[in-house]
Amino acid sequence: MKRQVPIMLAITASFLPVIAFFFPNAWINEWFNRKLDEWMVIIASFAFLLGIVSMVQVNLHKVRRRQKGWIFSVIILVSFAIMASCGLFGAQGERENGTLYPFTWIFQFIYAPMQATMFSLLAFYVASASYRAFRVKNMEASLLLIGALIIMFGRIPFGALIHPVVPDLAEWIMRFPNAAAQRGIIIGAALGAASMSIRVMVGIERPYLGKS
Amino acid sequence: MNWAHKLLLIDRRIIFVVVFVGALIPIIWPIGLAVQISPPVKAVFDRVEAMKPGDAIMLSFDYGPSDGPELDPMANSILRHCAKKGIKVIGVSLFPLGGVEMAIARFMQLDTDLKARNGIDYVNLGYKDGAPAPMKAMGDRIESVFPCDANGVPYSEIPVLEGIRSYDDLELAISLATSIIGEWWINLVNAQFGIDVALGTTAVSAPKYYAFMEAKQAIGVLGGMKGGSEYEELVARAYPDLKGLSRSATMGMDVQSVVHLVIIFFILFGNVMFIVTKRMTRGAN
Amino acid sequence: MELQLPGIGEWVAAFLTLCAFSFLYKDNILYRFAESVFVGVSFGYYIGLAKINTLEPNLFRPLFGNFGEQWSLIVPFLLGVILYLRYIPKLAWVSNWSLAVYIGYYIGVNLLQRLQGEILPQAKGTMLPLNVGLWPTLCNLVVIIGVVTVLIYFFFSSPHKGVLKPTARIGIYFLMISFGASFGYTVMGRVSLLIGRLTFLVNDWARPLVHGAFGG
Repeated sequence: MKRQVPIMLAITASFLPVIAFFFPNAWINEWFNRKLDEWMVIIASFAFLLGIVSMVQVNLHKVRRRQKGWIFSVIILVSFAIMASCGLFGAQGERENGTLYPFTWIFQFIYAPMQATMFSLLAFYVASASYRAFRVKNMEASLLLIGALIIMFGRIPFGALIHPVVPDLAEWIMRFPNAAAQRGIIIGAALGAASMSIRVMVGIERPYLGKS
Repeated sequence: MNWAHKLLLIDRRIIFVVVFVGALIPIIWPIGLAVQISPPVKAVFDRVEAMKPGDAIMLSFDYGPSDGPELDPMANSILRHCAKKGIKVIGVSLFPLGGVEMAIARFMQLDTDLKARNGIDYVNLGYKDGAPAPMKAMGDRIESVFPCDANGVPYSEIPVLEGIRSYDDLELAISLATSIIGEWWINLVNAQFGIDVALGTTAVSAPKYYAFMEAKQAIGVLGGMKGGSEYEELVARAYPDLKGLSRSATMGMDVQSVVHLVIIFFILFGNVMFIVTKRMTRGAN
Repeated sequence: MELQLPGIGEWVAAFLTLCAFSFLYKDNILYRFAESVFVGVSFGYYIGLAKINTLEPNLFRPLFGNFGEQWSLIVPFLLGVILYLRYIPKLAWVSNWSLAVYIGYYIGVNLLQRLQGEILPQAKGTMLPLNVGLWPTLCNLVVIIGVVTVLIYFFFSSPHKGVLKPTARIGIYFLMISFGASFGYTVMGRVSLLIGRLTFLVNDWARPLVHGAFGG
């Protein structure tokens, strides 16, 4: 029960989309594969929510033990409770009178600015790293720098002011040398991922059994 | 420690201030530099322009607020373009960290800009979890995973969805994507269902999508703020009455120019100082 | 253009934005406060998102509203619920059942995505003609050489010796040019995010405030 059932379930669930792909109009596609697509949306929803249980456990533990920074755990739990309540007992979007539901209001004025600002800090660190770490020490680094400079000049309006050919050169690099290298990476990674998929499908790898 | 070495180790906060000021000035006093159009963006514009009134596209909002400055301008200009052409837009979202709210905000903007009507000119079907599963299911029947729109109105009661059952009834799918979801639109939706796909991506992901576009798996790519500004420019050229509407990517490219020059200066100056330091150290030894 | 004074939403957003920017000076209590609010709201957001967009329309409403036709939804409902048994040590093993279905399905879909959606079309896209005029042929040659040499560089099953060594070296050069392009685009991406925040602070918050206070 503990090992055989999950292995059988995983093998069945993994082969269904593949069989349905090769026999698109067969009963297996109609009865199982399409149902599985619809079901998976729901199961994925439950799966994504799993992390929240751990987050609440960790922060409650911190508050109970009065560990260092526990006050921030209180802030996390309170803001979590407020946002979750707005979602559970309210709706999203705009009311008929044009005002926003609390769920969307909090998203727009708290979540969105915070997420955007956190990521925008990276602009400063990119500049700092460019000054401190981008060193032309060998042939590889020189090519990296040349590629970077052409793209940086070619992608800003200022580039065309230097010379009209700069944006075209940037586009050529993107379409040919860059696309070739990216294609090599895509094919290589896809071969690896496909072979890993096959190992799971035939039961050699069993990530769903965890450590047990 | 010589002077060049000291210069290499300056407090990073000085660099931060230079970047901050460089970005702030063109926002307060815009420069108005001209935008150059690139073929991948023109290809997407031409594809939408060639559609007939009443045709439908799917616009997938697969990004969150952190990518808004790059992808919101694309969404705005594509929605305006479709509204002017009378093309139906079916909005969906498969990105969990805010995709549906980005869609809500863009459609609200469209209402304000062009008085488009929810349910008649466009619909926002909301968000679904587990992206590849809804992508697959929509190939058979969109309603099976999106039984109602983001406001809870049943699929069958939404006028704009009349006659639209699956990808077969759409002309094009455009994913405005961060992360891997854009790739799934190509390697799953385009590959398995044959619908044309165009991508609006964050700048960070753009280089990878050129490989897909060159292999004819995507009809075009709008890369980052630059791609957004190009689409804004194309729409403004084709529909001069829209010129008065906000064009945040075009304005942003002024700032990009200044900050790019600042960063290029830092790279080159850093390398010059590095060489000077090495020579001075060698000379001292 | 008429400027409206910033509302409470803009004030809250501006305060949190400035709190986050304060990290650039150094880690401080304002930043940690904003960070904690963000973490809490993020998790809370996901609960609302799942309930409003997926669980209610795709599970609860059809299952409890039309049980006769939609009874089969009990299966994903149960598979979803038993995922949480991992928090009950004695029953944790049962959660592996739904995990097995979940992982199995996506593995099967992923195999098709990789084979049909990536390897085959990308390989096909590399089979380019070499008799199409000088410049297009040269461009096609760049693509063919680039793809082959990069793949050889990533071929770790045998050591890069003999003819493989210079070939892999060319692959590295292609990768470096591509990484350079990626760096250029990364700069643009990061700066775009900064532009978004500064535009908000200047145009949506500070400018209306200054106009409101001093007129003009």
